[in-house]
Amino acid sequence: MGIGPSTKETTLHHFRDPILDVVSRDADIDLLGVVVVGTPQVNEEKYFVGKRTATWIEAMRADGVIFSVDGWGNSHVDYENTFREIGQRGIPAVGLSFIGTQARFVVENEYMDTVVDINKNQEGIETEVVGENSLVNLDARKALALLKLKMKLKMRKGNTK
Amino acid sequence: MESFKKRRLVIKGFLINEVAFSEATLITRNSLTLDKKYQTGSLDSSHELMKSYEDHVHSYETRAIYPDERDIQVNSIMDFVPVSTKVLGKMGEGISHTLMGVTVMLTGIDSEGVQAAEFGSSEGILQEQVSWGKPGTPNHNDIIIHVDVTLKEGSTKIRDGINRCHELCDEIVGSIRRALKKLDGRSCDERHEFYDEIKPGGKKVVILKQVAGQGAMSDTRLLSKEPAGYESGRSIIDLGNLPVLLTPNEYRDGALRAMH
Repeated sequence: MGIGPSTKETTLHHFRDPILDVVSRDADIDLLGVVVVGTPQVNEEKYFVGKRTATWIEAMRADGVIFSVDGWGNSHVDYENTFREIGQRGIPAVGLSFIGTQARFVVENEYMDTVVDINKNQEGIETEVVGENSLVNLDARKALALLKLKMKLKMRKGNTK
Repeated sequence: MESFKKRRLVIKGFLINEVAFSEATLITRNSLTLDKKYQTGSLDSSHELMKSYEDHVHSYETRAIYPDERDIQVNSIMDFVPVSTKVLGKMGEGISHTLMGVTVMLTGIDSEGVQAAEFGSSEGILQEQVSWGKPGTPNHNDIIIHVDVTLKEGSTKIRDGINRCHELCDEIVGSIRRALKKLDGRSCDERHEFYDEIKPGGKKVVILKQVAGQGAMSDTRLLSKEPAGYESGRSIIDLGNLPVLLTPNEYRDGALRAMH
């Protein structure tokens, strides 16, 4: 399992990524940067890069993270682990992933309660039609709205965790 | 809220509504002509361009597909690539020129009919195999510059084979970039200005993207010399899949090339 045609983020997708567009335009958000992390094959490597990513984001003193993943199945192992590493550091994170009916998380944790499903297909499957299940502006706006809510909730609860 | 503006990136868009082959790659007004040496190449031809790709590439063909010509059979779609080039400064700052109305499409297969794909492939009737007008797909009225590469037997399953497809495609796009660089910036059809900025008091947010990094048809290239390019980029696999931090402007200027 990996990245199918309907979800894959093409070079053109990165060039005009709706997440960047939505987050950078928001006057209330101080966008620190875009962190790109790979999806290694071996589990030990997956845990290694996930922890390095979370350590870095914590050191950036981030208030929140929008976390997208290209692909599913095997890629969700990395995704779950990185989510856990970020969550355990007390940083609110909202995800964006293809789930549908076909790509339910093989592993999940308590920090993955706000993952926007970018599926667009009625049956919720990988259709092999390029771009069909890729993330669009509305998905990005949902994710940012959820993140704002999560960051607000954390403020109310206090900054202990 | 006051913000501190740092590096500025200006993207100037030039609209194209005609693509044809001719003696040289040129952009005049809204028309793009491609040097016909990029039209076809194969192992048995004495083509200059083919010589440096003969380790994996069997042949290639380039053509322009107009919006009403999408009812054709194509091989698995490896990528859609914008045509953009740096005119001033490095990635993420200065000035970039970008073509509008045209998108490059890279497709691939090997000489035994094995599609260049990893987890499902998208060969079929072009019109039906693409959800048009998405952030990652051409707009409904875009002209597509289609680069179709046939690799040698077995090369679609080898990382080097896939790399060579992208490299060849990038070389063809390179000739358009050279013409695009020369255009007078004042004659652009659109102009967009972006800043890397610090917004004190704003909620500090990171965009985190988990991308492909497992081998053939599962790789991501970063920070090539040219926007959305291949040449001199770093593969995330070679970087140990470790996190790389990009500024918002580097990312929107084409720091990533999808290799899957």
